[in-house]
Amino acid sequence: MPKMKQLWSNRWVRLGVAALVVLILVLAPWNLDPATNQALARVGVFAVAVLGLNVIMGYTGQVSLGQIFFLGLGAYVTAYGVNEDWNIALVFLLAVVIPGIAGYVVALAAARLGGLAIAMVTIALPIIGVPLAKRLSDVTGGSQGTSARFTSAPDWFGADLDDIWQYYIVLAIAAAVFVLVHNLVRGKFGRALAIVKENEAVASSMGISPYRYKVMAFTIAAMIGGVSGFLYMVVVQYTSPETLAFHHSINLLASMVIGGAGSIAGSLLGGAYYVLVPNVTNEIDPTLTALIQGVILLVVLFVLPGGIASLPRVIRRLFQKKDGGGDRTAGRPTTATGTLKTH
Amino acid sequence: MGTFIQLVVDGLAMGSIYGAIALAIVLVNQSTGMINFAQGGMAVLSAYFAYALLGMGLPLILAILVAVAISFVLGALIERLLMRRFESGDPDTAVVVTIGLLTLITGIAGMVWSYNNLQFPSLFPPDSFSVLGAAVSWRSLGTFLTIAAIMVLLQLMFQKTKVGLALRAVADNPKSSAFSGLPVGRLLMIGWGLAAALGAVAGALVAPRLSLTPGMLDGALVYALAAVILGGASSPIGVVFAAWLIGVLENLAAVYVPFIGHDLKIAVPFVLLFVVLLVRPQGLFGRKTVVRV
Amino acid sequence: MNMRSKAVKAMGIVAIGSVVALTLAGCSRGGDAGGGDDGKGGDSGAPAASPGITDDAITLGVTTPLSGATAGPGNCTVAGLVAYFGQAGPIEFGDGKTREVTVEAFDDAYDPQKALSNFQQNQSNVFAFTSGLGTPTNRAYREAAIEEEVPQALVMTGDPLFSDRTESPWQLGFVPIYQNEGAAFGELLASSEEDHKVAILFQNDDYGKGYVEGFKSAIEGADNIEVVKELSYEATDTAVDAQLTELAASGADVFFNAMSITPLAIASIEKARELSWTPSWFLPSNTSSPGAILTPAAANAEDGFYSVSFAKAPQSPAFAEDEDVKGFLAALEEFSGDYTTKPDFPHCMWSYMVGATLEEAFKGMTEPTRENFMKSLTDISDFTAPLMLEGTSIDTTKDGQPAVASVVVQRFNGKGYENAESFD
Repeated sequence: MPKMKQLWSNRWVRLGVAALVVLILVLAPWNLDPATNQALARVGVFAVAVLGLNVIMGYTGQVSLGQIFFLGLGAYVTAYGVNEDWNIALVFLLAVVIPGIAGYVVALAAARLGGLAIAMVTIALPIIGVPLAKRLSDVTGGSQGTSARFTSAPDWFGADLDDIWQYYIVLAIAAAVFVLVHNLVRGKFGRALAIVKENEAVASSMGISPYRYKVMAFTIAAMIGGVSGFLYMVVVQYTSPETLAFHHSINLLASMVIGGAGSIAGSLLGGAYYVLVPNVTNEIDPTLTALIQGVILLVVLFVLPGGIASLPRVIRRLFQKKDGGGDRTAGRPTTATGTLKTH
Repeated sequence: MGTFIQLVVDGLAMGSIYGAIALAIVLVNQSTGMINFAQGGMAVLSAYFAYALLGMGLPLILAILVAVAISFVLGALIERLLMRRFESGDPDTAVVVTIGLLTLITGIAGMVWSYNNLQFPSLFPPDSFSVLGAAVSWRSLGTFLTIAAIMVLLQLMFQKTKVGLALRAVADNPKSSAFSGLPVGRLLMIGWGLAAALGAVAGALVAPRLSLTPGMLDGALVYALAAVILGGASSPIGVVFAAWLIGVLENLAAVYVPFIGHDLKIAVPFVLLFVVLLVRPQGLFGRKTVVRV
Repeated sequence: MNMRSKAVKAMGIVAIGSVVALTLAGCSRGGDAGGGDDGKGGDSGAPAASPGITDDAITLGVTTPLSGATAGPGNCTVAGLVAYFGQAGPIEFGDGKTREVTVEAFDDAYDPQKALSNFQQNQSNVFAFTSGLGTPTNRAYREAAIEEEVPQALVMTGDPLFSDRTESPWQLGFVPIYQNEGAAFGELLASSEEDHKVAILFQNDDYGKGYVEGFKSAIEGADNIEVVKELSYEATDTAVDAQLTELAASGADVFFNAMSITPLAIASIEKARELSWTPSWFLPSNTSSPGAILTPAAANAEDGFYSVSFAKAPQSPAFAEDEDVKGFLAALEEFSGDYTTKPDFPHCMWSYMVGATLEEAFKGMTEPTRENFMKSLTDISDFTAPLMLEGTSIDTTKDGQPAVASVVVQRFNGKGYENAESFD
């Protein structure tokens, strides 16, 4: 194991592995069938959605059960813009900015409230969002939804390669968002968020305003949600009020925890969980999907309470135990710093 | 005027349904400190147990009582075998476990009893009578009174009995409670068991009206959560009053505020919640919690 | 130092090797560009068979909600289909081959994104998609189906878009469009000699709005009919008490209730009785079952409960000895155990009819291709599927109309339904 650590600390090794990963991601779709590429693209969409949720929940410790609302809002903005024939770059910008503004406004009010109360305010978003989407039918197409076909592969790319084209769009945008967030949480901002999550009183005594950081985190989460909405339209090319139904928020939360809260890799795993588990349950028995999904969720959490992203840590600890409890500092104290405790 | 009273009466009836689940959520919250998303689902499963017992020939009241007893045991077992592992860790993980439990229970109910709407008989006669120009059904009145009675019982239990005090102590500070000699494990199990038993009663009261399906209480769960927060998670009386308030205000807003109408009336509980929380963060009847820094 | 540089070198070689391997392999898909997905044939001689069909087997796919709030009707959309092909056995196609029909169901939990996913994951293994429930879910993969030229045939939605042959060349709706059902009742009412005041309660989506649209267009110009109150409710509501209270206060004598949720339908009948409001009722075809709704709600037939239908209701005592119904119930019991054996929702009967219609289409096929299937499917006229009421039949040849365009207005007689010629 120390050899691995030495290898990893070598900059060239890290760059090499990164380059390899990028290469695999770029070349993979040419080797895979369209159905798999489409599934991968969808994983990208929801990985970004879970990433947004992680920013506000995993990293800042504030409960948000409204992430699906920002995804839906981004999707609707995209659909509207595409159907009005606006420039696609403008549409993307709006799909990020408009949910961001909505998130900012909600956060300004909600961030003053404590744990469970923020949860309720965020629950209100999709719950009110659905009838609102139906009521504003001139803009949203009402309960029948709107289609917006805009991601057919252009001729120079290859007319029949829609799935690869969509995969690349999702890959490019998702990778950019992931890199941005990764840098954000590694830096000063991320450290401030961690302190706010741990203990707000300590944070304010250090000059870090919990209120300001919560508002910022929530706005960022909403913007990322908007991006995932844009990507949703890229892949599905149809949206309806069903897109922002409340139970999807619950599934996103579950996906986040299963992937690994407060972790970049965890967001990716969470997106994979959200998309692939229904496919798996359909293969096993389409009439028992709820039962199988419940079992999978409980089993995963039972074995890995920290989510799948904690697997390397768990394995490392297992090995250390075998070596006679070598590196004590590897373990982290489990403090209940979560957000859904009411007292 | 007749319409107004009718809306109030109906709002109280609907609010009782929300209140029933809210009470069970409060019970778990007061004893373990966590929010159980599966509370509604467990209540539905209990109703299915009663339904199955009815099918075996038991009279209704007996079927319900046996289902209540089974639910108590089941609730305690769920705490011991499933939730125990997550209670001392990250609360978000614990909540997601309850979400998984809800999914599992829904799946089991769907598999065993199918997703069809099943008829569940009511404990009360189907007629209605007139009060101040409004029609009140015996079923609604019976539900309302039963929930009110349970609310009072729970409040008394928490405030006046040793068990109630012990449950609250364990929720507040498990370590100190253990040091004081309280059987923490057993109390946690009792808390969950009681909540499940309460849910069974709620399920049996509500099933005749909503028709028994695996997802019967999914819609009511959100309202129940709103009632819990609005009323203050530590007060049984508070959450039931909050639930009644939500039921009534929703109806009134839908009819008397045309802009809101029947499609956006669902916003009313949340706006109310928001306003109240800005002024009183602990809810209408909750106690202010002080956290040592 | 030595160890480290060796390790680094080893990793470098592995990396380069993988890159080369991937690039070479990558050319495989690139070379196939344009060859990929559907078997369009195009060689001279016998056309290549579409995916999902061989000389002795054909696979049908159904993406429908098998869990969640709409799982009741969703399970029925598969149960009837499976029962039909179970009792029919292998079918002789128009091209002379006898094939076994397999139905593969996929749960989409009424989520459009999952419906699209089900389509994408399975379109290369199934011959056609059929019988799926829901407008948003069917809409979600409609355009993909058109692009991939996969039939989306006889789906359970009354959305008119699916029956427009120009807009949806690879689709066909099965059930009457909502507007037709609403209009049928509107016509009956308009033909009445007396004046009537109508209160309307509709589900706040394309289903409810479609019913109201059809109803209103049928009573346009009828001086004796006046709509006095119109309210909506959400499919996710737990109660419609407030709406009933308002509607009862309007003094209407006819209640047009475009509702598709069973417990709410029962609750509205009970509430109306509590409020001492006794209008004549109209209920849509999928929420008017005597066994599931009217009897549990203790509906008083004297008030006048009207509905539209095209399928025989098995719970109706009038059909207790009917051969069709007996065969249907037996098949359901024998073959549909995975889904449901109790036809609590009309979708069970409807999907049984879908099976029969598909058999008709198969019998008219001369080539094992999807294109030929669509041609045969849209060429069925005057076909009375089992369980169809007298006066209704299947006609797939009319542009703008789904497979079932004709409905019969019926009136509840305390036990079952009988045809209503006029409104009294």
